Amino acid sequence: MPERLGPRFDLAFTLNGTPVGMATTTATTLADLLRERRDGRGTKLACERAVCGACTVLIDDVPRASCSVFAFEVADSDVRTVEGLGTGGEPSAVQAAFADNSAFQCGFCTAGMILLTEALLARDPDPDDAMIRDWISSNICRCTGYALILEAVREAARRKREAGE
Amino acid sequence: MNDLAPLRTIGRSDRRIDAAEKVAGRAVYTVDIGLPDMLHAKVLRSPHGHARIRSIDASAARAMPGVHAVLTRDETAAIRMPVYGYFIKDQPIVATDKVRYEGDIVAAVAAEDEGTANRALAAIRVDYEPLPVVSDLERASDPDAPELFEEAPVGIVPKYGEGASGELRPRRNVCYRFSYETGPADAFADCDHVFEDVFRFSRMHHFHLEPFVSVADWSREDRIELWTSCQNPFGLRKEIARIFGLGENQVAVRVPYIGGGFGSKNGCKTEPVALALSRLAGRPVRFCLTLEEGFLTNTQHAAILKLKTGVMADGTLIARESEILLDSGAYSDGSPLVAEKAGYRIPGPYRYKRIKTDCYCVMTNTAPAGPFRGFGGTQTSWASESQIDMIAHRLGIDPCEMRRRNLIDLGEPFVPGESGIDSDLHEGLDLVVRELGYRDRNQPENEGPVRRGMGLSIGFKDGGGVNKPALARVKVSTGGDIFLQCGTAEIGQGAHTALAAVVAERLGADRSRVRYMPVDTDHSPFDQGTNASSAISVMGQAVDRAALAARRQILEFAADALDCPAEELELTDWEIRRGNEAHPLAPMIMGRFGGTGWEFVGEGFHKAENSHAAPLEAPCVFWEIGWGGAQVAVDTETGQVTVEKLFVTGDAGRAIHPLVCRGQDEGAALMGLSQALFERMIYDGSRLVNGDALTYRVPLADDLPEDFRSVTQEQGHGPGPFGAKGMGEGGMLPVASAIANAIHDAVGVRITELPLTPERVLAALAEKDGR
Repeated sequence: MPERLGPRFDLAFTLNGTPVGMATTTATTLADLLRERRDGRGTKLACERAVCGACTVLIDDVPRASCSVFAFEVADSDVRTVEGLGTGGEPSAVQAAFADNSAFQCGFCTAGMILLTEALLARDPDPDDAMIRDWISSNICRCTGYALILEAVREAARRKREAGE
Repeated sequence: MNDLAPLRTIGRSDRRIDAAEKVAGRAVYTVDIGLPDMLHAKVLRSPHGHARIRSIDASAARAMPGVHAVLTRDETAAIRMPVYGYFIKDQPIVATDKVRYEGDIVAAVAAEDEGTANRALAAIRVDYEPLPVVSDLERASDPDAPELFEEAPVGIVPKYGEGASGELRPRRNVCYRFSYETGPADAFADCDHVFEDVFRFSRMHHFHLEPFVSVADWSREDRIELWTSCQNPFGLRKEIARIFGLGENQVAVRVPYIGGGFGSKNGCKTEPVALALSRLAGRPVRFCLTLEEGFLTNTQHAAILKLKTGVMADGTLIARESEILLDSGAYSDGSPLVAEKAGYRIPGPYRYKRIKTDCYCVMTNTAPAGPFRGFGGTQTSWASESQIDMIAHRLGIDPCEMRRRNLIDLGEPFVPGESGIDSDLHEGLDLVVRELGYRDRNQPENEGPVRRGMGLSIGFKDGGGVNKPALARVKVSTGGDIFLQCGTAEIGQGAHTALAAVVAERLGADRSRVRYMPVDTDHSPFDQGTNASSAISVMGQAVDRAALAARRQILEFAADALDCPAEELELTDWEIRRGNEAHPLAPMIMGRFGGTGWEFVGEGFHKAENSHAAPLEAPCVFWEIGWGGAQVAVDTETGQVTVEKLFVTGDAGRAIHPLVCRGQDEGAALMGLSQALFERMIYDGSRLVNGDALTYRVPLADDLPEDFRSVTQEQGHGPGPFGAKGMGEGGMLPVASAIANAIHDAVGVRITELPLTPERVLAALAEKDGR
């Protein structure tokens, strides 16, 4: 557990569509804040240097490495994590495409990869292969060799377009 | 090649059994485990590569508020046997007399949080007497080289079979030697040519995303509970019981999902420190390393491989002698086992009259090296497949033809006493040649500063581990719900999915009826470990037998109830079919066993029979082959090598889950590609200079070759269920040598040292041109 350094303050932001308020400290990172909540451990920490992207979350729709964002930075922001994807227990189109394409192995990078893909497809519903590669290259997957992930992203884009999302 | 009709479950790429949890972020890993009153551990690491410890003063740390336990050599002295390792018990829980690498653990603290633990560590005073370091593999055994271990640690040499031998401490700073010899010693005398070449292999870190982590609870004196990111929970249980002087039934090891390992998560890593602190504090302790500390915990083996190969003028291989030096780092870890395999695999998939090999584990003042995907086979495939190409060119033979002339036939033993090769090696080679367009290479457009070329390689290793027992249990409830209990950890490779598929197929059930029970040494049947691509080939056989045993019991029960021979009955969807009749099982079971019902329990066991004729005391379970081919473009002005095409193919025997097989080969191939081109740990003496995520470069999606493909062959000769064989390491083995061979094809220079950097290519081009 990380230490609670710095002055305490009350933080308010939107987490997966729900307004939340909690007491925290100025030196707490967003990743630690999320993970200490019992329901927030889908956000994974690996390098803790904003390199690998395992801890990617969306802050106002922008993918960010939550290991390197202070909790105070998200005051009044809209934060989305893997726990907030899908509706009514059904996975999102991106989650479903990752599941169907075996676009994961150990699963440690998967939440980050999925959130990255959600952000990409929100900006560009029909990205070309170069764009997909470019985006996926911001995160590290040590298991898959990436090809299955790239296919899952294409598949997710296709499904979302067909569903008119 | 995937032309076999899928069965009900086998051969279908349904969603993996772990898919729903993993895409939803609900999968639980050891990093996610928390216990009430849990403390957090951090360790103090040596800033010296080699030093004697004069004194340690931890009194200030002990007095700090929030600190609940401090572990130094003063405390570990009370532990029954505070050292660990595989064959050789040489690694202390915390340093005692000396530190042997930068990063060696000197002290540990358990505190309310990691920050407090780190502050306490900073207050520990250690007085070191620095010693000269050993960092050069070739000079480590010089008479004047400093010695890492002045006294011999406790160690064993396992029993070997025909032609194989091992020795502890054969020379200075060498902890182990493995040797193998077969065929007449004078075989070189008959050769038309004898070629001697030296190859150098660089060192990678596994870079598994989930860090080394464990949660240890030894708050009750007579009972250890341990959650850990570990691939061999039973081996770990044995080691923990030995270290701390407990019974194995006092130690429970639980393995949640593992966030990648690639070999590193075998044996003791974080666990002894966490346990010792938990005992001292009387509270549970979580010990999670940073990724940077991971670099200091376990690595691949750098190597120097000296090959002497005798051939006839027509390219027929006759004899190969080799000397392999593995950089084992400061502690033996899995090095002697890797030495066995490197020494054994160096001939590659070819027929020789004479093989002699000596492989040495050389200790240096660097991080301990241990198991890494390929397990010695990556090193040997790099050297061997490079040299085969070199010899072919020297003899004026096409490298592909050279290989064909010498490949071991399907069913032919690798060496005397061994099992037969269970893949048609020619079939895989033909596939690479076809997919790559190898025959049409070197077209006239190969002019100008950028030259193109192609290279082939056949990576080779014995698969399934040595002498591995595996036990599995399949339970089926009254309602037809299936429990699969076995010790294979899910580390990403898809083993839980594949093993559940085997059970579902045998029981005529949907795979969704199968639950893979948590891996827990208190409840899971015994397993040697999740390693050596053994899940489907070793555990798979045990699981298959367990499922068939359960099925037989169910059919015999039904035959008794229906008063007919069991042979007339079929089991499908938890109904007994007899001709056109269908009999639901649940009422039948409750009729016999009462309303609570019953569980049918089948057990299955597998172990290769021991045989002294086999060099490693048991014949190899299966042969893991990775055929590969690459097309490169070499810029002769910059030395830049661009891999334009990379094709790899393995033989799954029978692909239980084709997409999982594909992912294994492609993930392995990309690891091979990055090793070939750029990925390496850089040491300056005893100091690792790029041990962090930013400066240590692992491959990204952008590093994929423009044309990157894999094909899963299903040749059907595997020993596993439905003809399956192991996967997961083979795809890495051929890549570096295929690329080096392609560079030679393109520009006529031979690089014998990894990685194949622009600097090395340019230097080789300059040397060739006499510049």
